[in-house]
Amino acid sequence: MSPVIRHLTVRLGSLFRRERLEQELDAELRYHIDMLVEQNVAAGMSPAAARREALRVFGTVDGVKDDVRDKWLSRFVEVAVQDIRYGMRSLRRNPGFALVIIVTMALGIGANTAIFSVVNGVLLRPLPYKDGDKLVVLHQGQGDALGANDQGFSPKEMDDYRQSRSLSDVVEFHNMFFTLLGRAEPERVSTGVVSANYFDVLGVKPIHGRTFVASDDAPGAPAVLVLSNGYWERSFGGDPGIVGKVFRMNDRPHMVVGVLPPVPQYPLEVDVYMPSSACPFRSNPKAIEQRQFRLLTAFARVKPEVTQDKAQADLDITFKQLQRTYKDDYPQGDDFHAVAVPLKTDLTSNFTSTLWILLGTAGFVLLIVCASIANLLLARMVRREREISLRAALGATRARLLRQLLTESLLLAVSGGVLGLVLSALSLQLLVSFAARYTPRAQEIGIDLNVLFFTLGVSVLTGLVFGSIPAFARRFDVASALRDGGTVTQSGQKMRSALIVAQVSASFMLLIAAGLTLRSLVTVQGINPGIRTENLVSWRADMSFDKFPLTMSPPERRAKVAAYWTEYEQRLRAIPGVLEVGGGGTFPLNEIDPFPQRLVREGHPLPPGRQPPQIDVRFATSEYFKTLGQPIVNGRAFAPSDTLTAPGVAIVNQSAAKQFWPGEDPVGTRIAGNGPGQFRTIVGVVTDVRQQLDRPPKAEVYVPVAQTVNIGMTWVVHSRLPIDDATRQIKAVSHAHDSDLPVSSFRTLAEVRSEGLAPRRVIVSLIGVFGLLALIITATGIAGVIAFSVNQRTHEFGIRVALGAQRSRVLGLVLREGLVLVSIGLAIGLAGAYMLTKVVGAVVFEQQSTAGLTLLIGTHPTDAATYIGVATTLVLVAIAACLMPARRAATVNPMVALRAQ
Amino acid sequence: MAPKSDLLQGTLDLLILRTLSGDPMHGWGISQRIQQLSKDVLQVNQGSLYPALHRLEQQGLIEAEWGNSENNRQAKFYQLTRKGRQQLAEEQKNWERLAGAVARVLAGS
Repeated sequence: MSPVIRHLTVRLGSLFRRERLEQELDAELRYHIDMLVEQNVAAGMSPAAARREALRVFGTVDGVKDDVRDKWLSRFVEVAVQDIRYGMRSLRRNPGFALVIIVTMALGIGANTAIFSVVNGVLLRPLPYKDGDKLVVLHQGQGDALGANDQGFSPKEMDDYRQSRSLSDVVEFHNMFFTLLGRAEPERVSTGVVSANYFDVLGVKPIHGRTFVASDDAPGAPAVLVLSNGYWERSFGGDPGIVGKVFRMNDRPHMVVGVLPPVPQYPLEVDVYMPSSACPFRSNPKAIEQRQFRLLTAFARVKPEVTQDKAQADLDITFKQLQRTYKDDYPQGDDFHAVAVPLKTDLTSNFTSTLWILLGTAGFVLLIVCASIANLLLARMVRREREISLRAALGATRARLLRQLLTESLLLAVSGGVLGLVLSALSLQLLVSFAARYTPRAQEIGIDLNVLFFTLGVSVLTGLVFGSIPAFARRFDVASALRDGGTVTQSGQKMRSALIVAQVSASFMLLIAAGLTLRSLVTVQGINPGIRTENLVSWRADMSFDKFPLTMSPPERRAKVAAYWTEYEQRLRAIPGVLEVGGGGTFPLNEIDPFPQRLVREGHPLPPGRQPPQIDVRFATSEYFKTLGQPIVNGRAFAPSDTLTAPGVAIVNQSAAKQFWPGEDPVGTRIAGNGPGQFRTIVGVVTDVRQQLDRPPKAEVYVPVAQTVNIGMTWVVHSRLPIDDATRQIKAVSHAHDSDLPVSSFRTLAEVRSEGLAPRRVIVSLIGVFGLLALIITATGIAGVIAFSVNQRTHEFGIRVALGAQRSRVLGLVLREGLVLVSIGLAIGLAGAYMLTKVVGAVVFEQQSTAGLTLLIGTHPTDAATYIGVATTLVLVAIAACLMPARRAATVNPMVALRAQ
Repeated sequence: MAPKSDLLQGTLDLLILRTLSGDPMHGWGISQRIQQLSKDVLQVNQGSLYPALHRLEQQGLIEAEWGNSENNRQAKFYQLTRKGRQQLAEEQKNWERLAGAVARVLAGS
């Protein structure tokens, strides 16, 4: 046996071979004594005397045995087991107390575990792809080139950036909605159009069939599809026989060649994937030729051993070369550029700060929980004074007593932690759907080993903290404790007061955060988006590509598409009860990215080398503004006569008028149209609308649907019909119009508006729940401490009342004691909240990021009303918490109180 | 490395290890040998000897085996492990340095 193993068996043996060890120890010592006896007999003693003498010399056998056992490893475990058993017994004697602590603890741990599981799944865990740390997303645009500034890449640019030295692979992705035919109903499928080696670069292997190969991407290759796992499960019931099936899409047969494993899909979850050659837009010769036809998202793999900085530097070099070669496409002086962002960061960029804020608030709750439990334990310690003193008097060392107390605390903490874990597991589904609004990584949220370790670690740490505060606050002064007959000394009172102050100040800060975000939510909810939302139903309608194939001549196709939608509009208007019908590319509050274009104004020449400014382009039918209730402030709305053959027209909103025609009337001026030499005359100015409730309106230009080619449109109907009736009739009319036209996403605009605020509401609710928890825990804490203090001073109050003190004076005395603590806590909390909003607010609350969520809108971080409201609430709650024990103090019967002594 | 113990405990450990540097011995034998070698100056108290033996065993410095004693009874025999031998050499050196230092101080006064 190797020495190490032998050593281990000796150590661990003491744990498992307990009986044998005892026997051996017994035999060993008996042998020693027998030898002593023999020695004595040899020296001439009688056997009886020899044994007596031997035992005298040896000392107490049990004492020696106990000292030996102390050296065994098992001893440690035994003591722990003993402590746990003792702790359980003492907690069982006081189940209410134990329950309060465990539940308090569970709330604190539950809140933290839940938020941490999101942080872990979204921010900490590596991407579930091969060498996920080496994957980057490329962005191209002005400013930070992110969010709305990101213009994406054209197929030509994809090839150029493939030359960048630090990148081993660049693959493309873009998202289209196509109609899949060949099933019972035409189905609108979200499609990821990707490079043939897309899945190889990500390192994703199919569970059925294959992914794409280079030959799939060749021009004219048979069209193929790979299904996402979710779509395959949802629509085909996980049928492995799907591989080889053929569906019609975009006027061509498409064969399913594979199914993906259930991996999270970035940048978004789609139903099917197709190679870029199969996408009618992407494979259009015009798209391939034009350098500014930017619709692609670029993913790249950074070569091994290459740092992020080096990759960016090489990207800059590549871009500079493009700028030198194609002067018209990348004008000098424009701050247009390309950046590489690690995929992991990119996927969570608009969620990170929110998450850290939530984790911070959850941490505050835990601090309050800690202080509260420490306070409860402190109060209980005083009640256990006699028990502990007695144990000390009987020989328990200080260390031994500390160990016992900490064991009890850990017992409570771990029980609370387990319960907290259960609570957070129950709330997980809610959190996943919340996170899904921000990041495609939401599906990776779950309770894994990291989360378990976090919970265990935090529970144990919490237990140690709240356990050691009372344990060390006490001095184990045996003599005085026994002498005083168990009445309280002042010891611990100061600590209890300090803990209350800490709780109040932490709660104040938390409630300020909750108050500010709540106020902001109310403000945002009250914001007028600039459109009406009552009695409006919206939906999506996307025609199939088969309808008007790209093989038609462009003018013919444009005419047919325009006529298609005009007829559809007329059919909708014919529905009885329908008042107005509007159609557009998207709708306000819909959170669909706008379509930015360069705005070239006639009579506004640009300085040389400057690109024209960007403006969001939207499409509208003639009744669009009337349907949504957007008044035309100047000029006219679109008319049915604004057709393809009529002169091009456009309408700008007030923001655009102010920004691009300051001091001028834009109506009657002209802007550049679709092609060279084509112009649109501005015929009207419309009021601003907020495309998202919490963002200010942007400059926009509207173009008539009839003068563009829109394959898919969002429609909205203003009607007197109940929503279900309206939806049914619209579906029927759509089917009658074109049985291959899928209609989906029926929602009222009121729903759309409310849903847009859902993430904000969830965050506010979370912070609010945390604040409420803090308030309840703190109120309980105050009540407990004051009640305890009243209990200890019963004698004093008895004397006061006996000497003629008014009941109200006694009441005031107790209330004052509580309010002094609360006031100190409020003062500290005020200073803390002010500093926090300064530090955190600067980073998060006021930041107008393009993609992230601005938590405070229309509310200043030092909003006086919120501060006063929160302070008042806290004081009122504190008074209520003090009142119960105070009333008891005031109604003390002096005779009873004095006799009790 | 064993935790630093106070002088007395450390000394007892050293004595035990030194005594066991030869043949395996049982507890009784160890106490007799120390007494004998120190010419009755050092009397090892059983109350210290057995806890020390068990501690050294847990630390892996010595190991134990049951065997027959000289009077043909079952007894627990201890012997040094390799780690124990290293520890003995080190402690012995420390002790000699300390003893020498004390001796020099005393001689100098």
